[in-house]
Amino acid sequence: MAIKVGIVGIGHTRFGNSSEYDLADVMAYAATDALEDAGFLERRREVDQVIVGNMASGMFCHQSAVASSLVSRMDMEPVPAELVENGPASGASAIKIGYMAVASGMADIVLVVGGEIMRKVSGWNATDIVATMLHTEAEYNMGLTLPAFGGMFTRLYMEKYGLTERDLALVAVKNHKNGAKNKYAHIQAPCTIEAIADGPEAAVVNNYIAEPLRMYSTCPVSDGAAAVLLVNMDSPKVKDFRKKPVRIAGVASATDTHCVHNRKDPLRLDAVRLAAEKAYKMAGVGPKDISFAELHDAFTILELAISEEVGFFERGTSFLAVRKGETEIDGRLPINTSGGLKSKGHPVGATGVSQAVELVRQLRGEAEEGRQVKNPRYGMSVNFGGFGNNVVALICAKD
Amino acid sequence: MAIDELEKKLRPPEIPLKPYPSKVITLASGEKMVVREARREETGILLGTIYPLIGVSADYYDIVAARMYSEVLAWYRYRVANEFVLVGSIDGVIAGIVNSRHVTNKLGMSLHTLAIKRGLRVGAQLFAAKMEHHIDVLGEEEVYIVAESPIGFKRWMIELQLEDRSSQFPDVRSELGGVPTFVLTRKLWDAVRDVKCTGTRPVSEEDLKSANKLIMPSEYVQIPGFKR
Amino acid sequence: MIDFSMYGAKAPTIKAYKCLTCGTVYYPAPMVCGKCSARRDPVTGKGWETFDLEGSCVLLTWTRVWNLPEGYTEKYLLFGIVQFENGLRASGQLEVEEPKTGMKLNATVKESDERPGKPVNVFVFKE
Repeated sequence: MAIKVGIVGIGHTRFGNSSEYDLADVMAYAATDALEDAGFLERRREVDQVIVGNMASGMFCHQSAVASSLVSRMDMEPVPAELVENGPASGASAIKIGYMAVASGMADIVLVVGGEIMRKVSGWNATDIVATMLHTEAEYNMGLTLPAFGGMFTRLYMEKYGLTERDLALVAVKNHKNGAKNKYAHIQAPCTIEAIADGPEAAVVNNYIAEPLRMYSTCPVSDGAAAVLLVNMDSPKVKDFRKKPVRIAGVASATDTHCVHNRKDPLRLDAVRLAAEKAYKMAGVGPKDISFAELHDAFTILELAISEEVGFFERGTSFLAVRKGETEIDGRLPINTSGGLKSKGHPVGATGVSQAVELVRQLRGEAEEGRQVKNPRYGMSVNFGGFGNNVVALICAKD
Repeated sequence: MAIDELEKKLRPPEIPLKPYPSKVITLASGEKMVVREARREETGILLGTIYPLIGVSADYYDIVAARMYSEVLAWYRYRVANEFVLVGSIDGVIAGIVNSRHVTNKLGMSLHTLAIKRGLRVGAQLFAAKMEHHIDVLGEEEVYIVAESPIGFKRWMIELQLEDRSSQFPDVRSELGGVPTFVLTRKLWDAVRDVKCTGTRPVSEEDLKSANKLIMPSEYVQIPGFKR
Repeated sequence: MIDFSMYGAKAPTIKAYKCLTCGTVYYPAPMVCGKCSARRDPVTGKGWETFDLEGSCVLLTWTRVWNLPEGYTEKYLLFGIVQFENGLRASGQLEVEEPKTGMKLNATVKESDERPGKPVNVFVFKE
């Protein structure tokens, strides 16, 4: 019988500016929160495996081997620890590998921590460091950056389906409204549609970053960490934890071409679709069963495109649903209830784990008032690595 | 105060400056920031706003605040020539202050930009308002600009593509520290005005009223636990 | 006199790759042919041929980027993805007054030192 894996503890720092702190300390803070949440802090050396998700500590913080330093910072020696890297999907990949460790039978309790400190370097350097994900000869050397690809993708989408800049602004308003109520969010300040789209000063207040993407369609640069404690749900230790585990029903990933120009169809995100299909199959559910989702809106267009690839909406129609309010907290299918990457922030290595923390908070009914989804059953997250060339999908269930 | 012969000698010669036409900008949060010229009698409020930041070393706030404090005080006491001060306020609470000197009819000297409210590009908007005043209102041909903070340098030197006259140092230099300078010319400003400078005029009676009495901020993100 | 012509400074080019076993073309270079699995040895180049990727192409999508990474001093840069007549696609900078998707452009290559390290070859798609 297949091993069931559940999340029994969650931890999360306030995303924002933690650049004066050491990365291992920030991750340890989230890890300690997760262990405390599970009521397992004193017994932390009984954890069988620590998996850390981090993208570029070497470039951002001039530090390497962060999994090893974290274990020591937590006073958790001799627990085994390894680092998983998958660009901005490092967090969800770390969860996937942690899941595999438990499902293989080799570990009963796994601590997964995702973290990143990006603000020790300047914004221009951060843009450059993130751009190292791209193909060096064919993309990075040309001066291309992730926002550049976001912009080009958005233009294609707009020209084909009629999406407007105002639609992207509507998503930002929704996400900021949710994030304002999320105690962990980087930016806890609502923005108005008049200010960023309709008003006479909107064009300058919400300036272009990579046309047609504007500042309020791109996520901030953030520091932070999040952690989840995974457990084999049939382990006798399960009763020792403070709370009932939230089951991971499905987790899967897929890859696509490295060079964005080599995608079969420039408007499709095949890795998203394939990862979601595999996760649905594993969980035995379909898009209609998902109650709410955290979709990787590093660029607002991605929240829309991903929601279509995973089957929530017909291709090219997701923004029509946004206009009708279907993805608001009280809508038919709430998306980015945490504020998404736009408002919650995007410390690249932490995001995948942060999304899982949100899934658990919602499924447990622990979200703040005003952004708690009513009676959720299945929550889904999609963590987007590179520009869609390595994507991880996660489905959690409240049994 | 009575201006006697000695005081007349101590005061710098005055070039009559056109007033800055107030404008209002709706910031991303939906809050409205009124940008208007400060009045000399408001100096107390301005100095009280600037003063706490003299102790903040992060982002070079300390040196910007210390220098702006002295410039605003000198402006009040008529000991600096042809300075103007613009202030951005939200419901009367000061969000940011900028100041500059009108050196001649053709040349402006940008002094400082102090953003107190963060996260809403207040600094960028006020800097643009300052350049608008220099070139569009006062009619100058060029403005000398330098930066104390590396972030300021990149935002202005690169985003506005300022003309680099640092090689002409020390003959061409900024009054601000006597350092090598970069220059915003009318041509460069024309190229970026639409993208950098915004605001609605005239300001409604209601908004003007709310900005009439300036209020010192009661909290500073830069100073956690600040109590006035 | 010594013939230095083989070291001559030629205009920079960007290469595309052709698998000689099945004829499929690629840019950038793979290590294994996606169609017939023939290996490419980057040292000897046996079984593969390179050719210059240049000439006329169609603009598939484009953007104007205002927030450039560390090292760039321009106010903004135009970037685009193009498709060549042989079906290959590439990304690069644009030197175009008013970019429009679908417009015909000409692919040229320049040497650039904006990125850290040694100078690299960059596509510039021009009208």
